[in-house]
Amino acid sequence: MSSKINGHVSPQPCPHLLVFRSRNGPKPFRALQDCIRVKPPGGRAAIRREPTEVPRCGTCEESSRSRLYACVACAAVFCHAPLLHSHASDHSLSIPGHEIAVDVDRAELFCCACGDQVYDRDFDAAVVLAQTVNATATTSTSGSTAMQCSVAGSQPENLRKRRRVDYRPWEPDSGEHISRGNQSIPLLDAANASLVSSTQQPWGLRGLNNLGNTCFMNSILQALLHTPPLRNYFLGDRHNRYYCQQKNGAINGTKNSRLCLACDMDALFSAVFSGDRTPYSPAKFLYSWWQHAANLASYEQQDAHEFFISMLEGIHEKVEKDKRKFQSPAGSGDCCIAHRVFSGILRSDVMCMVCGFTSTTYDPCVDISLDLEPNQGGSGKSSSAKSLNSFNVEADCMRPNQNCGISTLKGCLERFTRAEKLGSDQKLFCQKCQVRQESLKQMSIRKLPLVSCFHVKRFEHSSIRKMSRKVDRYLQFPFSLDMAPYLSSSILRSRFGNRIFPFDGDEQDASNDLSTEFELFAVVTHSGRLDAGHYVTYLRLSNQWYKCDDAWITQVNESIVRAAQGYMMFYVQKVLYYKESENQGTS
Amino acid sequence: MSHSHKLVIKRSSMSRPPPPPPPTTNKDQQHQNPSFQEINIKLIQSGEKERLKELLRERLLECGWIDEMKALCRAFTRKKGRNNVTVDDLVHVISPKGRASVPNSVKAELLQRIRAFLASTAD
Repeated sequence: MSSKINGHVSPQPCPHLLVFRSRNGPKPFRALQDCIRVKPPGGRAAIRREPTEVPRCGTCEESSRSRLYACVACAAVFCHAPLLHSHASDHSLSIPGHEIAVDVDRAELFCCACGDQVYDRDFDAAVVLAQTVNATATTSTSGSTAMQCSVAGSQPENLRKRRRVDYRPWEPDSGEHISRGNQSIPLLDAANASLVSSTQQPWGLRGLNNLGNTCFMNSILQALLHTPPLRNYFLGDRHNRYYCQQKNGAINGTKNSRLCLACDMDALFSAVFSGDRTPYSPAKFLYSWWQHAANLASYEQQDAHEFFISMLEGIHEKVEKDKRKFQSPAGSGDCCIAHRVFSGILRSDVMCMVCGFTSTTYDPCVDISLDLEPNQGGSGKSSSAKSLNSFNVEADCMRPNQNCGISTLKGCLERFTRAEKLGSDQKLFCQKCQVRQESLKQMSIRKLPLVSCFHVKRFEHSSIRKMSRKVDRYLQFPFSLDMAPYLSSSILRSRFGNRIFPFDGDEQDASNDLSTEFELFAVVTHSGRLDAGHYVTYLRLSNQWYKCDDAWITQVNESIVRAAQGYMMFYVQKVLYYKESENQGTS
Repeated sequence: MSHSHKLVIKRSSMSRPPPPPPPTTNKDQQHQNPSFQEINIKLIQSGEKERLKELLRERLLECGWIDEMKALCRAFTRKKGRNNVTVDDLVHVISPKGRASVPNSVKAELLQRIRAFLASTAD
């Protein structure tokens, strides 16, 4: 029904229009064009014989009709409401050749016989021209937008300056200027392209100076700087240190209000991702953290894991102050970015060995601390009768894919989620029996976090023996980890089979819709003795491994990482990891 | 454009004008009231009607009414086929829903504007 001429779709004329054209020449609407009036305020085109004409139906004298048409042949005006009555149709039927009319308020051609709009290129062009002239004459903004109207069926909306906004290239506003600061460089700036591409290292790799036994802090910071959701949060300006400090001051009312660890993180991210490769001194950060964790403020070496926990608490505490009224369920991660990223939910089932009654509790956790095997290279069925494998009597080393004698992270997780008979000195109160009974306890993961942090308990502090020692045993850890076997659903199913549980064990895991596959992206290692040791972090970026040893960052082979003594391992949900890899700017 | 409950469409003869049909705007208005026409003329001649129309267009755009009508038209056109649809068809299809779904706030605002205009131009 329509054909294309010069890319413009031109509807085929109806038979009445064809006849009309044949009778009145190729430009039958020439006279009509003189009646085009462009009316403020909208700049729409109307048809009026005189500028002040009030059109009314020649038959019923009504001027308030919503559709009034002027016959092109005789200029008589009629109303048109097809179902009610149409004096326009009556007119067209009564006089042949008078089928073509024009909508007086829209300047659109109409065939009363067909009941449909028709188009004439020249007439429509004239309407467009009239509206354009009017628009450029009366408005101050650029009128260039008007020229883009299509010829067939002019759209008055296009010409209304109110609706269209002219293109302006983006310029940062004052707030964004502050955020950018002096340290940032444009990512895609030709002048700085050499800086970016010459270094073969990915974005955000910057050494951290040791400020005096602060490698415990540096190592954790490096891991956090490259924790994908955390990185995205801060680089995405979700916590703006300029705005926040003002708020903080406003809340506490004092000028020297407590510094905000999240703000310091924000500053750290800005510094590390600035493109500047010279080692950075996180002095301000250290000072802020000292204020937060006063008991740990010293130049002594601290435990990296302890630092990690206190950091998350610090971020949480600051944010919680602002949102005191907001109560979110524990472990949901709605409270702050730290919990949003790291918080998962652990499930603990304690079963009375006498009556079988089981109580289930859920606890949020930001990491999982794992014990190394007590015996060097021993079988999984270690010395104690504590471990109870209800279904799987084989020891670790009888699993086909396990090297006998080597501790693995997976082995630790299996042990962690194994049903464990609590000793007779640890009887728990059974609600059914109403006495303390010997119990069976099993841990499992109810909800996986975005980032799973595994902490290997290498430092044993015994208050009884008044000594501490470090366990140096090597622990093998995978680069890809599927957490499915450790979920509550898997654990319970493997233990009891597919059945209705006598306790609330059947609800959907919160992580059902999320994947259970994780990818390793950071490993914090400790070498040396308990009192004289050194922390180093290995980062995995775009499938390359980098060793972050305080101020020195070097690319290393993955075998080095595999052989390292892992103290804390950071795994991120696989979907988040691969996305992150794709976006690395360099080759 | 409003629906009439009459099933027979009277054919008007050219010699005698038929009685004016019910008005297409406010249902409550008595069409015999000559001031309705006068009001309309006044609105048109002063240019206020055009301003009111622009205001109405803006309000209907803001509240999504126009998009809703467009969607109705598209759905109808898809069903019937592009080449089998006329303007009259579309008007017929969307008029009932269109009239019914104009937000009350929009009606109230326009009514207020008209009242204010009449008050300001009262003789």
